[in-house]
Amino acid sequence: MNRWTSKLLWGLVLLAGACMEYGPQPEEAFDRSGRGVFITCEGNFMWDNASLSYYDPRTREVENNVFLRANGMKLGDVAQSMALHDGKGYVVVNNSGVIYVIDPATFRITGLIEEVVSPRYIHFVDEQTAYVTDLYDPRIAVVDTRTNRIRSRIDMNGHRSTERMVQVGSRLFVNCWSYDNKILVVDTETEQLVDSLTVGWQPNSLVLDGNGKLWTATEGRDGEAPALWRIDPATLEIERRFDLPSANPPSKLALDARNNRLYFIARDVWRMEADAESLPAVPFLPYTGTLYYGLGIDPDTGEVYVADAIDYVQHAVVYRFTPEGGAVDTLRVGITPGSFCFKQR
Amino acid sequence: MFRSAAILLALLCTGPVLAQHDSTARTVAIEQVEIAGVRPMKEIGVQRTVLDSAILRENISSSLADALSSGSTLFIKSYGRATLATASFRGTAPSHTQVTWNGMKMNSPMLGQVDFSLIPSYFVDDASIYHGASSVGITGGGLGGAITLGTKEPDAQGFSMRYVQGVGSFTTFDEFLRLSYRGERWSSSTRVLVSTSENDFRYRNYDSKQFVIGADGQISGDYYPLQRNRNGAFRDLHLLQELYYTSRQGDRFSLAAWYLDTDRGLAMLSSDRNTTREKRNSQTERTLRAVVSWDRLFGGLKAGVRAGYTYDDLRYLMESDPDGLGNFTPITDARSRIHTFFARAEAEYAPNERWMFAANVSAHQHRVHSGDLSLIDATSGRRADTLYRQQRFELSAFASAKWRPVPRLGIAADLRWELYGNRTTPLIPALFVDWLLARRGNVVLKASAARNYRYPTLNDLYFQPGGNPDLDPERGWTWDTGIESSLKNSRSSLRLSATAFDSRIDDWILWIATAKQGVYTPINIRRVHSYGLEGKLAASTVTSGGWRLLFDGNLAWTRSINRGDKFSEADESVGKQLVYIPVWSAACTARVMWRRWELSYKWQWYSERFTMSDNNLGVLGRVAPYLMNDIALEKSLEFRHLDLSIKGCIYNLFNEEYQSVLGRPMPRLNAAVFIGITPKFGKR
Repeated sequence: MNRWTSKLLWGLVLLAGACMEYGPQPEEAFDRSGRGVFITCEGNFMWDNASLSYYDPRTREVENNVFLRANGMKLGDVAQSMALHDGKGYVVVNNSGVIYVIDPATFRITGLIEEVVSPRYIHFVDEQTAYVTDLYDPRIAVVDTRTNRIRSRIDMNGHRSTERMVQVGSRLFVNCWSYDNKILVVDTETEQLVDSLTVGWQPNSLVLDGNGKLWTATEGRDGEAPALWRIDPATLEIERRFDLPSANPPSKLALDARNNRLYFIARDVWRMEADAESLPAVPFLPYTGTLYYGLGIDPDTGEVYVADAIDYVQHAVVYRFTPEGGAVDTLRVGITPGSFCFKQR
Repeated sequence: MFRSAAILLALLCTGPVLAQHDSTARTVAIEQVEIAGVRPMKEIGVQRTVLDSAILRENISSSLADALSSGSTLFIKSYGRATLATASFRGTAPSHTQVTWNGMKMNSPMLGQVDFSLIPSYFVDDASIYHGASSVGITGGGLGGAITLGTKEPDAQGFSMRYVQGVGSFTTFDEFLRLSYRGERWSSSTRVLVSTSENDFRYRNYDSKQFVIGADGQISGDYYPLQRNRNGAFRDLHLLQELYYTSRQGDRFSLAAWYLDTDRGLAMLSSDRNTTREKRNSQTERTLRAVVSWDRLFGGLKAGVRAGYTYDDLRYLMESDPDGLGNFTPITDARSRIHTFFARAEAEYAPNERWMFAANVSAHQHRVHSGDLSLIDATSGRRADTLYRQQRFELSAFASAKWRPVPRLGIAADLRWELYGNRTTPLIPALFVDWLLARRGNVVLKASAARNYRYPTLNDLYFQPGGNPDLDPERGWTWDTGIESSLKNSRSSLRLSATAFDSRIDDWILWIATAKQGVYTPINIRRVHSYGLEGKLAASTVTSGGWRLLFDGNLAWTRSINRGDKFSEADESVGKQLVYIPVWSAACTARVMWRRWELSYKWQWYSERFTMSDNNLGVLGRVAPYLMNDIALEKSLEFRHLDLSIKGCIYNLFNEEYQSVLGRPMPRLNAAVFIGITPKFGKR
């Protein structure tokens, strides 16, 4: 066999049997103690491409895919939210049915909460107890944070799609989003649903302001305007309702705790004082062609982070602003960044 | 799996002992090569790929998706057997490939696309692929191209029967039976195919680890688990009845009715940490398609009419039980019922050898009822208003003139006009030219160009929530030019072709998020420029020792580039390849036949596919290049009362661990064996 024939044959063998590069992922060591911002990037539903980005506001460095790089495995499908508690990070991965517990400095997995089919948000009731809301289960899962096991489930009287949770004393408030219009009240001592309040169609957010008032944002439907609602959590009275144009439903309500201001997205990004009696006239950040997808306020500095998912299939951008609206930085993160989680000192 | 392969090889090795002559089991024949200068008038300038019968009849377990992957330059996006398989033709979207079955549209009026995994290749007798502008002669809207599928009268005279049984890895069983009769006037054919599989192949999950957790909830170790494909089981039933009658006067009548009933699990993503007792997805579909036709030749005039009906009942069900006890309740129950009535009249007239005229008109009336039955409006306790009922009438009128002023030159012009609902598309023109460059080698130059439009689907317009009734049709402009040649002598034949194409699509419909959380809506936004090269090569030879060698290969280079305006300043997708469309793809099949033996080898390759529109190359931004090798050995045996064939196939020969779509691991080396029985009814 001459030299060329031999080369040709080897080439054919390589062409036929070359490896398709699917195998173990290398693991990277991180040590990011100190302040930082976690950005959960949802990815695309059923595309298995959710990711976690980490941003250091001091050095302005962004690290993408930190979960995958630290653990050698994917985060999963639709990273919905993240919370920090007792020195641990809890990343809620909606369509993977899991909450990963990670070390917020090394990003390594230290535990996981399973047996939740479609988790949305996690809230810490006390040192040993966390509640998890779900898109489809009409119950809130009660987690023992020492073992990461489900301890019990609180019946929501048929209300599926429980979302964000806010606690005032022993009462926990939760908004029911999909095809619903309720804010439910759970007694955290008896772990029972004790009360409810009707608001507008599809309340998608819930925050507690510095004055101790609850705020929610509803999407509205035919014959009902989208609105912001201010609620007295003690009496469950609706104190104020701010209607918005039907084409611009509000979402992603966030609180600047330091300055007691509310931010929300309604086509533009808006900011209003928590004790304002009317909607602002001028947006904090005007719409520039794409819908803003995520919004987060740094509780330490009052800085504003706004996510633009662009076409939902590429590395999105996050814009960082001073509380006064001055541009600070622009960072590239993963696909469809939906929520921010701030690691404080 | 290795044990299965060993058993299979052992079975194959027993073949020679039983070796006898068989004349009917063999379906492979050297392709007919056209004689130089005799180019059909109908084909002037047309870029058409005919799927070889050897590819269509490869296995009863093969779908048209498999046949298109190996026999054409189309890219099929699929993540395994019995899962959604859609086509990208010349870098376009699945809805830009129009498919007809016996003249009736197969594209879903709701989604616009065709799931090729639901079409068994054994149920297709004729499959032609019309590239780019050539699709205008078939239907409108084929911005990538069109595929025509047809059934035809059985070849063999008298009564025939063929039964094939397949047994494969992962508890997979396929049964096929065809009973056919061909008489002087009447013919009948009945085909049944039943496929079932647990489809629970094992794979190493590199996407999600297993953790060793102590009683205190602390993790003490982790590893990539070897696990089974979850929730991927399927059951498919297909039944096809055909009747043909030819009158003494030359009237030809036909009826073809195809019923399919499938129940398929949708496999869980590799990163899904739910168990199969906590969550399951399934898709069931029942479809009936029936077409009756009449046609007749009156001298130089051929006239025909067709009528048809399609009923499609689709259900996508997602259920969960957070307690993991298997007491599932629906969380998504999307149902669609579609009735389509079809009628078509056609005529072709060739007054002499230089001219040919054709005209046809097709009408489809769709009635759609679709929505998610699981959604309850918590404010009323009643079902949420996500249902939509729509009717739409679609009309497509076509006329063409073909002229061959001199034997070497052919010129053709097509004109199509389409109506949908109360709107119309602008006129769709197409021009074709071919030129016989050299009689030696039958070298023909071809060129074609077309303006084309694809109107929005019913989901685009009316889906609840999010449908956009103000959408415009997508607008395409395409041209191609190519050269083809065929050579033949008494022992060998060679046919090769190369084509360059260039297409621009404006107002491409894209679904994007709205201000309402979780609601997406379609808009006319994108501009796409796709261009590339397609090459095909088919060769065969018979050696003096009686060995027959066949080779069929294709290669495509496809750039499909987003040329739209930036969504925002930060948009980095402009100028980049569209997601999940490979730049390079190639496939070839080699066959060696000797006496009653046949060895075939299939090789397929796609270059990497981007999964992000900014063409990022990270772990989540691409799927690695795909390389697949399959091998099959078949032995035919002849007995006094029947012919027998036994075929063993090994898929994923090199036992690759791979994904073709993110989060969708594929089976490693696996095998199947097929036994075919053909009784000889009075033909001994």
